[in-house]
Amino acid sequence: MTDMATSFDAGASAKARPARRFSKLLPQLPLFVWLAILVVLPNALLIGTSFLKAAGGSVVFQPTLENFSRAYQSSGVWYLLARTIATAAASTVIAAAIAYPMAYYAARVLRRGQFIAVLLVVIPLWISLLMRVFAWRVILGEKGVLNSFLMSTGLISEPSSAFLYNPFAVFLTFVYVSIPFIFIAVYSAIERIPHSLVEAANDCGANGFRAFSTVIWPLSKPGMAIGLALAFLMAVGDYITPSMVGGLNGTMLGMVIASQFGIAGNWPYGAALALILLAAVTVILLVLFKATQVPGILVGEGGGGAPAPKQAKTSRERLMRTGGFVLFLLPYLFLYAPLMIITIFSFNAATVQVFPVSGFTLQWYQDVLNNGALLTALNRSLYVGLCVLLISIVAGTGFAILFAYGKVAGAHWLERLLTLPVAIPGVVLGITLVLAFQLLSIPVGIPRVVLGHATFVMPVVMLTVLGRLRRLDPALVEASLDLGGTYGRTIWNVILPLVRGAIIGGALLGFTLSVDEVVVSLFLTGTQPTLPVWVWNQMRFGFTPSVNAIFVCIGVFSVALTLIARHFLEPKGTEAR
Amino acid sequence: MTSSNDPIIRFKNVVKRYPGASTPALDVPEFTINRGEFFSILGPSGSGKTTALRLIAGFEQADGGQIFVGDQDVTDVPPYRRDINTVFQSYALFPHMSLRANVAYPLKMAGVDKASIQKRVNEALEMVAMEKMADRFPHQVSGGQRQRVALARAFVGRPKVLLLDEPLSALDLNLRQQMQHVLVDLQRKIGITFVYVTHDQGEALSMSNRVAVVSGGRIQQLDTPNAIYYEPNSRFVAQFIGKSNLVQAHVSGAGAGGPVATVCGEKFALPGVRQTGPVNLAVRFESLAVTKPDEPAPHQVRLMGKVSDVLFLGHTCEVKVKCQDQEFIAFAPARRDAMLAHGQDVCVSFNPDDCAVFND
Repeated sequence: MTDMATSFDAGASAKARPARRFSKLLPQLPLFVWLAILVVLPNALLIGTSFLKAAGGSVVFQPTLENFSRAYQSSGVWYLLARTIATAAASTVIAAAIAYPMAYYAARVLRRGQFIAVLLVVIPLWISLLMRVFAWRVILGEKGVLNSFLMSTGLISEPSSAFLYNPFAVFLTFVYVSIPFIFIAVYSAIERIPHSLVEAANDCGANGFRAFSTVIWPLSKPGMAIGLALAFLMAVGDYITPSMVGGLNGTMLGMVIASQFGIAGNWPYGAALALILLAAVTVILLVLFKATQVPGILVGEGGGGAPAPKQAKTSRERLMRTGGFVLFLLPYLFLYAPLMIITIFSFNAATVQVFPVSGFTLQWYQDVLNNGALLTALNRSLYVGLCVLLISIVAGTGFAILFAYGKVAGAHWLERLLTLPVAIPGVVLGITLVLAFQLLSIPVGIPRVVLGHATFVMPVVMLTVLGRLRRLDPALVEASLDLGGTYGRTIWNVILPLVRGAIIGGALLGFTLSVDEVVVSLFLTGTQPTLPVWVWNQMRFGFTPSVNAIFVCIGVFSVALTLIARHFLEPKGTEAR
Repeated sequence: MTSSNDPIIRFKNVVKRYPGASTPALDVPEFTINRGEFFSILGPSGSGKTTALRLIAGFEQADGGQIFVGDQDVTDVPPYRRDINTVFQSYALFPHMSLRANVAYPLKMAGVDKASIQKRVNEALEMVAMEKMADRFPHQVSGGQRQRVALARAFVGRPKVLLLDEPLSALDLNLRQQMQHVLVDLQRKIGITFVYVTHDQGEALSMSNRVAVVSGGRIQQLDTPNAIYYEPNSRFVAQFIGKSNLVQAHVSGAGAGGPVATVCGEKFALPGVRQTGPVNLAVRFESLAVTKPDEPAPHQVRLMGKVSDVLFLGHTCEVKVKCQDQEFIAFAPARRDAMLAHGQDVCVSFNPDDCAVFND
């Protein structure tokens, strides 16, 4: 999903050379079954439901335009839609303003430690979104860190309630959540630009700034657009964050939609609102991608590479260099503030999360082991994550191989359609899945969650693998066939080993997405909460600092796992470039 | 093919080291390139030739010494303020700009007005025969066409010096030869100094006024192609340029007629050689003649041997002959009716004048 090549060379699949027998229709069957059940049916049901009547909390099969006219006439809906989109858009843009320079610095200025710089941005993603948002509540609240700090500096004398439970808090939290996504998208785009292009621009008389504005910027725009789109989608479809930090004034459309499927119990009206949101989002994303479109294709794999090292000769240059590095570090403080809060309170003796801290304790870590419900939820999350991974790896890799070598008719569109769930705001996706799973009578709980997560994890694996496959030399497959390998053995002995890295990468990302998912899961879990859903319930009904402890453990564990995986998977000596 | 003594680029005690390397990548005490010259830097990969080019372009900074363009010391001048343009090995065309926009880029950066830009871009594209494809994008044209556009982009701004970094290495043989003619023609037409980096001796010899052979970060020999070919000053140059036999010989300086060399028991006068004892002689394949024992041998020094191998190359044959314990390879004209055969007795002959002598 961070792979901009897939959008660039999507048309190339039609030209993929080898393997005539792959094109037989039988292997394509799973693809169409997947599309029908997990993509087409849910969305069709959403559209269908929006044209039905609601009576007494249930759906009546009677076509009507009532829902749309009600939404159209409601000034509240228009106002909420406008505010939702404005907040999401503004926070995404601000996040980009922070993340772009960071990514640029990490990709083109840093000479060592790029891996660490990227890892440090990614780590916050492994700590539950809910927890990070919750931590912001601790920072912004009346007895929070910000107020204590401002009072200690004497800027304010009374703790202010202006920071929390308002649209600004929602905006700030969205900015916070968006930065890693945009960073990763921009970093991988910039890192891919060959340094020779910058040298060519310098050579033609462009100074540093003009080389940036005429070469780096246009070439990184499509990548940035992907990051912007992801962040925007997340914000627009999120009803958790607004309900946690937004207060009454920070209500967003997602909350209203979700409530139609909950307390308000008006599914058709909720479906209509979801469609309206979806339409608005689609228009905005189309405009975004149109505006960031760049002609031409970056040919060849001559990867980025850091610029030639230059010594800072004057003291002014040295000062600018140090200043740049300090500026580069600032956003990390922002990213890590909530994580520090979580860590601090996991060792704090009090049960309420307010400053000042009362004393050191390991009690919460001990409590984790005795908290049956928490451990069950954790177990369930891991179980769901592994099931999702299994399904996504098999399906994602299979579909990718089909698209790359199978001469699937209309591959371009099928590929888009399969990735559709990634491009649907969480709240809308959750609703479409509820509708489909209800119709197919898939039991509430783990089966629903697994299938639901697979709809957006599988495309991630598929796109990562497809990106790698498209960069492979087509002659490799031909060579295997030429040397007597059957199709099956060619896939097993040649293709799979070559895309193993991409599978692992996509799977890790997918696992993270699944284990941390809450917006969609809330619709699907029923009485079997996954860890984030359980935490969400905790936050509303009696929070225990054990939750802090468990997430500190998860964070430490993830980092250790990544470092170990990197140690074993990466060829030696690639870091010092 | 004359070169005036009007230096356009001058290196003075230039040293460049890369971090972690024990020896410098480039160490050039003194070196000049003259205005209007077609100058080649020739060497194997890792010899420092690309480093030299990147120092001239300004992409790398020297760790010591100075580089001059004309009279100006450009050691600390960034690439975008140097009046020097580069044709990159990878072409480095901007993928998001049309070919026309690529060629217009340097003029735009220099603030040339729109009307002149258009005129000059068209002229430049015409000179490389790319005017018909001007509105395509780099990924839509072939490697050879990209190469020509990269060339046009580099010379359209009429820089003082044009640097070419193995620009032909990605092209097939036919295209490469065609481009060599294009380059030489172009250089004459626009009169810009060309500095051409290559590992291909054929390219260097055929196009250049002067050639610098580099290896291990040092200039081994700097001379005209002719002198480099016929008077290599070291074993490295002799082996790197053209095809040479390295013949073991023994020199004794006792005789009345100056030094005398012995090869395979055959003695001959070798004037101008100072050292005595065992030496290496480099003799080019084409300087050796292979004749049948009953034919008159054309050259002064004659050795008897047996043919051990014959490679038919079309216009010539490469004949390997074993004389006592040494092997010689010679080019012999291919004759349809009278081919040399394996095991045949032959006479190998050469002239002492065609021997280059080293003691390394």
